[in-house]
Amino acid sequence: MEKYDVAIIGGGSAGLAALKQLSTLGKQAVLLEAGEKVGVKNISGGILYSKKPNKGKVYNVEDIYGQNFVNEAPLQRKITQYLLHATSKDKVFSMDLTAAHEYQSNFGYSVLMNELNAWFAQSADESAQKSGGGIVPGVHVNDISWDAEKERTTIQTDEIDEFQVKAVIAADGVNSEVAQITNARPKFSATQLYQGVKAVVKLPENVINDTFAIRADSGAAHLFAGDITLNHLGGGFLYTNRDTLSVGAVYHFDSLLDNPTEPNTLLDALLKNPMITELIKDEVPVKGEIDKTLEKEKQMQIRFAVIKLIKTWYEIRDVHLSSSRTKEMIKTGKFNSEDEIKSKLSELREKMSSEYGITFKTDYVEDEYGAKLIPDGKRCRMKKPYKNNVLFVGDAAGRGIFVGPRIEGLNVGIDDGVRAANAIARALEKNNFSQGYLGEYYTKSIEESPYTKDMKEIDKEYLKIFIDATKDVPKDVLSAKHSMVLKLMSSGAIRSMAAKFVNVLGYERLLPVIESEESYVKVPIQLAERKGKTVSSSYTPSIPLLADRIAKLNYNDDKVSHIKVLTSDNDFMRKLVTLCPTKCYSEEKGKVTIQHEGCIECGTCSEQTDWKHPRGEKGINYRYG
Amino acid sequence: MEPLNLAVIVKLEPDFSEGNVSYKPDGTLNRNETKSTLGPHSGIAAKAAFYAKVKYGAKISVCSMGPPFAELALEQAQQTCDADVLHLYSDRIFAGADTLATAETLRTGITDKMQGKMDIVFSGHRASDGETGQTGPQTAWKLGFTFLGNVISYDVNLEKRTVVAKCLLTLNGVPNVIEEIEAPLPVFISIDPSYKSNYTTVSQRIAFEKYQKEAYERAKNYKQYLKVFNIDELGVDKALVGLAGSPTIVYQVERIPKGKATRQAEVLDGSNPEHIRKAVAKMKEALSAMVIK
Ligand SMILES: Cc1cc2nc3c(=O)[nH]c(=O)nc-3n(C[C@H](O)[C@H](O)[C@H](O)COP(=O)(O)OP(=O)(O)OC[C@H]3O[C@@H](n4cnc5c(N)ncnc54)[C@H](O)[C@@H]3O)c2cc1C
Ligand code: SF4
Repeated sequence: MEKYDVAIIGGGSAGLAALKQLSTLGKQAVLLEAGEKVGVKNISGGILYSKKPNKGKVYNVEDIYGQNFVNEAPLQRKITQYLLHATSKDKVFSMDLTAAHEYQSNFGYSVLMNELNAWFAQSADESAQKSGGGIVPGVHVNDISWDAEKERTTIQTDEIDEFQVKAVIAADGVNSEVAQITNARPKFSATQLYQGVKAVVKLPENVINDTFAIRADSGAAHLFAGDITLNHLGGGFLYTNRDTLSVGAVYHFDSLLDNPTEPNTLLDALLKNPMITELIKDEVPVKGEIDKTLEKEKQMQIRFAVIKLIKTWYEIRDVHLSSSRTKEMIKTGKFNSEDEIKSKLSELREKMSSEYGITFKTDYVEDEYGAKLIPDGKRCRMKKPYKNNVLFVGDAAGRGIFVGPRIEGLNVGIDDGVRAANAIARALEKNNFSQGYLGEYYTKSIEESPYTKDMKEIDKEYLKIFIDATKDVPKDVLSAKHSMVLKLMSSGAIRSMAAKFVNVLGYERLLPVIESEESYVKVPIQLAERKGKTVSSSYTPSIPLLADRIAKLNYNDDKVSHIKVLTSDNDFMRKLVTLCPTKCYSEEKGKVTIQHEGCIECGTCSEQTDWKHPRGEKGINYRYG
Repeated sequence: MEPLNLAVIVKLEPDFSEGNVSYKPDGTLNRNETKSTLGPHSGIAAKAAFYAKVKYGAKISVCSMGPPFAELALEQAQQTCDADVLHLYSDRIFAGADTLATAETLRTGITDKMQGKMDIVFSGHRASDGETGQTGPQTAWKLGFTFLGNVISYDVNLEKRTVVAKCLLTLNGVPNVIEEIEAPLPVFISIDPSYKSNYTTVSQRIAFEKYQKEAYERAKNYKQYLKVFNIDELGVDKALVGLAGSPTIVYQVERIPKGKATRQAEVLDGSNPEHIRKAVAKMKEALSAMVIK
């Protein structure tokens, strides 16, 4: 049997950070990732933060991947504008929260997980190979066993021979199988989770710059609350990438169970909001009717020509409407000048309309639909994130920060990954992998992380930023309870005291007051209605049907289902018929059954099913993530 | 232990994939308009050689006989198998060669121009643009190597210096007979289209990733690895190569008669509800014969 020092299970941003750190410390580690390539399984909002807390230290992405990270990594845009919008029908009330975004942070970039994790992987793999380790994609871990006497930990997979290690890092995400295999924690329950759903919308670089009034190297983040939530607890987001937008929504899972609504309907509610409709709009070609009296062959020819022309038009237009891509194309000699690109495009356009009856209209283009559960660290972080010699990091350890609009899992997982790597490196040096020496040390390190503090306590400084941002909010839209809290919190001295008091009392106890229908839905609606500006949209977006969204996704089908229904006739299972983002569940004669082929591995059904990730290389392959 | 020394013979072929292939009005291939690519069977042979690189750290040389632009096939083969050496045997005199003359050219390259003695030479099962499946066996015969055909998997015993190969046999009426053969090196392996490399350990998977990356980088600069030989540089006997060395006489090529279509196709437009109705009705009709449980 082969032997390695460390196995890392899962190649998301957390696992990759652990691999990079262990390798930098000269330790041998292998990372096993179920996806056919690193990155295809990961999905985020997402803004990647680098933080500088006042007290304590966090390990930032640039600490691990080098100070040149910002220049070399495939980052989308540096977020410089951060706005919160309260919505009600066509009314929008906006607040500038840029100060909250910049709070204790070095930077925040919008990112797309597929390419970012692929970049992390390249860097981590290079270091890992120097220490005799590396990344193994396409392998799904299905079991871990221990032989205490022989001090042996054996990793088993669906694809390759079992092998031995001295320690394990579980970075297998929110639906961690390792947590189940090791019995380290129960599955997360609805009250501890959010469901995120997202679409990547195509929009040329320069159009984004104009629409959002931002420079090519900067970006905007827009957050939404109010009627777009369809009465659920949570909200929407829209982040600018370089030449796409990430539009999505994140809702408390229990509020979805209380009032089941299809994830795609929640996404649609966002896309139909007139403000968002205006932000995503673009010019889109529309195929003309083909003359049915023509010969069949001729009709076929026209159909193919139209498809080809539209494809080329998009390609050239994307170049034309992007300063960086224009430069790139001229440099590589594909085009000689900007004028050439421009005239090529207008030539093409002319041909499209005069010869093929293609017209152009205002609409938007969606490229990828996706969904995933997100753990709420306030409610579900593992207090002791280890079992035997297995350390849990990132989503697998339930470590995500949710405070108001703040969603942070990427930076937290990266910090965890480094801490776990450091703890294991220390254990390797003493060859001591006991719970006392390894697990407890790691727990202590995690407890010292400022991120853990953010999951446990209210930060009065952060709170102040919100209170300042709400200075224009008429106090009478708030209930007596809320307005009193606000009044108290507005005074510096009392705020300190109150925050202390709350923290003594326990943050968890206060959560139902803060995270309520009142704060996510009612207050924003009232705000919008009373103080909001009217926004009208200039077109009706052609929102794709769920079937079309699924048809655009890329799957590697597995004949064997990775999910087994345990009970087919309880309330939870029946609600899945609505809550599964790709409608894998259906109900007939009171029995719920699954058709696993469309599964995007979000984990929504995991709590009450026998849920595993698909075998290596199988299942969903996200292009953006 | 001596490291393994491998060669792969590959062929540039028309790219029959959609968008790249072009036919003349009479239905024959329009070679001028059709793009070229590494033949799919050659690709599988390169994959099989790559297995030995990953598993045993073998050295791989790839060679081809063809026009100057056949270096494209070598570039693509390098991307598949991380070849250390690329040889192209290219000369007008080689044109018109049949499989026997091709085998002589390749044999000369392998024995005289490649470094060291070969342990295994790989070839594809056949070509997609002509009946040239004998090139492999004929090269084997000229090399004097044991020939293993239709190989679906293999492993090498480096100490004993033998190869154990599984070969797919076609026996009348008996499906999927697999014969396992152990043969002393050197051998010539003609790879079956169903061949698949199986990397079963962590170290193999890591090596696979590493060499694949290396292959990608190398293929970007494939010219650094490429040596082109004309007939004099190769030093082959002129009487045995090209048209002169080809005993095959193509007397007549008969076109395969087109089968009469028994089905009638109709083009339906998915955006036309009338057409959809028609399609559904047809499907219902077809399904009505089946029992649906
Ligand atoms: C809609 C949405 C918006 C978000 N917005 C933000 C944001 O703006 N900022 C932010 O910081 N965070 C955000 N998050 C959270 C963030 O995306 C996650 O916290 C983060 O991606 C988790 O990383 P991870 O490495 O812990 O897990 P994952 O990225 O889930 O990686 C786990 C990996 O393990 C692999 N795996 C699982 N099981 C096995 C197995 N048995 N064998 C082998 N491999 C296995 C999987 O294939 C996967 O690649 C958002 C999340 C969502 C869904
Ligand atoms: S089947 Fe389950 S895991 Fe898959 S997409 Fe549906 S809810 Fe998500």
